[in-house]
Amino acid sequence: MASVMVSPEGGGRLVRIDPGVREANTAWVGMVIFLGSWTVMFAALFFSYGLLRVDSPVWPPDGYARLPLMLPAANTVVLLLSSIALQGGLRAVRANKPLFPWLMTALSLGAVFLVLQGIVWHSLWTEGFVTASGRYGSVFYLLTSFHALHVLVGLGFLLWLVPRSLQSTYTPRDHSPVRLTAMFWHFVDIVWIVMFVTVYVL
Amino acid sequence: MDLQPIHSPPTTFIKKYVFSTDHKVIARQFLWAGLLFLAIGGGLGMLIRWAWGFPGEAVPVIGDLILPHSNGVIGPSTYNGIFTSHGLIMIFFAITPMMIGSFGNLCIPLAIGARDMAFPTLNMLSFWTFVIALLCVLASFFVPMGTAAAGWTTYPPLSTQIGTPGLGQTFMVLAIFFTGSATIMGGVNYVTTVMRLRAPGMTYMRMPLTIWGQWLTAILNVLFVPVLAAAAIMLIMDRHFGTEFFIAGANGPGDPILFQHLFWIFGHPEVYILILPAWGFAGDLLSYFSRKPAYWYKGQVWAMCAVTVLSAIVYGHHMFLTGMNPLLGQSFMLLTLIISVPAELLFLNWLHTMWKGSIRLTTPMIFTLGMVFVFGLGGLTGIFLGTISTDIYLHDTMFVVGHFHYTMAAAAFLATMGAIYFWFPKFYGCQMNEAIGKIHAWLSIIFITLLFGGQMVVGFSGQNRRLWNPFEYTFLEHLTELNLLTTYAAFALGISQLLFVWNFMEGVFSKRTCGNNPWEVGTLEWELSSPPPVHNFTTIPTVLRGPHEYANPEVRRTLGRDWISQTEELPSQPAGTGGADSGAAPAGGDSADGAADGDAAASDEPAAEVAGG
Repeated sequence: MASVMVSPEGGGRLVRIDPGVREANTAWVGMVIFLGSWTVMFAALFFSYGLLRVDSPVWPPDGYARLPLMLPAANTVVLLLSSIALQGGLRAVRANKPLFPWLMTALSLGAVFLVLQGIVWHSLWTEGFVTASGRYGSVFYLLTSFHALHVLVGLGFLLWLVPRSLQSTYTPRDHSPVRLTAMFWHFVDIVWIVMFVTVYVL
Repeated sequence: MDLQPIHSPPTTFIKKYVFSTDHKVIARQFLWAGLLFLAIGGGLGMLIRWAWGFPGEAVPVIGDLILPHSNGVIGPSTYNGIFTSHGLIMIFFAITPMMIGSFGNLCIPLAIGARDMAFPTLNMLSFWTFVIALLCVLASFFVPMGTAAAGWTTYPPLSTQIGTPGLGQTFMVLAIFFTGSATIMGGVNYVTTVMRLRAPGMTYMRMPLTIWGQWLTAILNVLFVPVLAAAAIMLIMDRHFGTEFFIAGANGPGDPILFQHLFWIFGHPEVYILILPAWGFAGDLLSYFSRKPAYWYKGQVWAMCAVTVLSAIVYGHHMFLTGMNPLLGQSFMLLTLIISVPAELLFLNWLHTMWKGSIRLTTPMIFTLGMVFVFGLGGLTGIFLGTISTDIYLHDTMFVVGHFHYTMAAAAFLATMGAIYFWFPKFYGCQMNEAIGKIHAWLSIIFITLLFGGQMVVGFSGQNRRLWNPFEYTFLEHLTELNLLTTYAAFALGISQLLFVWNFMEGVFSKRTCGNNPWEVGTLEWELSSPPPVHNFTTIPTVLRGPHEYANPEVRRTLGRDWISQTEELPSQPAGTGGADSGAAPAGGDSADGAADGDAAASDEPAAEVAGG
């Protein structure tokens, strides 16, 4: 239920705030701060990549072939679709429609991404491109594996949502976990796009 | 209706004291963990001093116990492990948990009028992640080849398998990673809590300076600890997963300077992470015990904000000697020296706060004065290190060690001790013994000044830092006696902490009580019982004025005392609905009533203007 209270700014302004909404907004603020923090973490990794690359006379360094482009490009599309599906799920919850189909789409596309990523790793590794393959190998495996770890965590969150989506736990007014998971999932997606452009394309 | 839920209090021992989500319990957990590691780190520090005071001689009393293989003598490799773990333990596992983990947790919800942190479960996870880090630290001492030995800065290639092949280094880097994660969790929590859970009327500019310090610290933590975490991940990958980020020369194609960039992008903000809470304590405590409003409160706030911003863009001054572009070096030098402007502003404000105040020399006040003194010394000597031309000579000498110990160690230590004495009633329900506290305070201030002053002097005379036996070099032989004196100061400092141990334990286990507000202070936490109840505020208070309302003639006329709490209405106000008879009663009832009254809204009140304006 809504309640009347003095706004935190004082001054006697009347603000109507629903306690549930307020708690959800607090969670949203926390998530934004957390993602900001994590952005800096990835920024530090990209900074390292940039510094190592700028230091090198040629890129990729001598003796290394360029990374493959086709499969990662397809993977970008997969992750993007997954993100869109989860956003569709969020909209569905807000329109009081079932979340489950959207959630399963996002979940399976996320899993497909990891499988394709595994195939990329495997083929490169068997061709002799390993973590010890100089700067190129170090940077590639660090960035992609760290990102894949985040995809894995995101899949965990999505999996956690599945039983709850079946029991229609979430209402248009109260669906904070879906919203937060979607934020995290979009973040992982955006990081991947930056990673794809910098590591594979450029 | 209140917007923050009241959960039923925990009943089982585990929920109440171990996996507790109560911010006050977590604050105590961090305090104990921090004090334990302060003792360990302090002991390691005394071992370093022993090696410099009595090189080659066996450590007395405990020597055979801790170094059985060398009959108590500190050998070179043992020495490397000792000074490395001393630095890491003191910074990450002693000061950080006490100053930020403990006082951030205790003070933020209490002083802004919240029932708990924004995310209590995350808060609990933060502490237990920190415990994992502590276990990693302890484990590092018991693996073959001993603990980390690459210096607290962990520079590669020394910190890669080439320089430190032992598992201890890995454990220590893992510990840094875990404690970094715990810090980020805490930071997200603190920032959100201050943004979202302030009581009605508690504007940003009415928060105690302690909360400002903690909040800005949390922002820096959230932004820069991830960089350290990234560096730690890369280092661990280099050590165990075959990558070659930092391994240069014949062994690999990497770049060790990259680690220095990452380390100091984090490391310079970290310096301010460890001093901003102390500045917050100082701003508040000097006001409380001078019985005067903090001089130019807003100026202090903006000065702290300015330092927070500047701290992010000066890290290059740690790397003047890495062959950096001179133009870049000069930019970093300029930015570094600009920091002294807001720092000086804070300093002048502190002095002005005390000026013509009726100073009460309580234990917390003595500690705070000591902090102001040593921070002054540390800050002034920093100018020589921020200036390229002098830094080239002073770099890597004991002068640097003395400088950063004055700021990060002495100032942080004295401020934290002051805070422990000051907030002890809110931890354990009574005051610690003032007489012993004052002796402890004076001894600590004197010996800590001598200790780090001695380091600075030998550094200026050319003694390099991190030397196992500096006196092997003829040009340093004449510094033997000065080093011996410094060693005596260190041991005197260590021994005088026994006073604190006794005082603290006596307070924890004593049945004494003190009132809600033994120091006669007006901030919200002092309206609650000591220690506060599980959910702090039964009704969320409505805040009417700033935190430093002392020596207000209007208050003295109507209430007959020199302070008024942040929620108390002056009896002469027409809107008063009672509750002005004691500082313990939150005025205005719950928030809905406050709004219904309309004129209970804060800023119309003349008394509120004194502090707010």
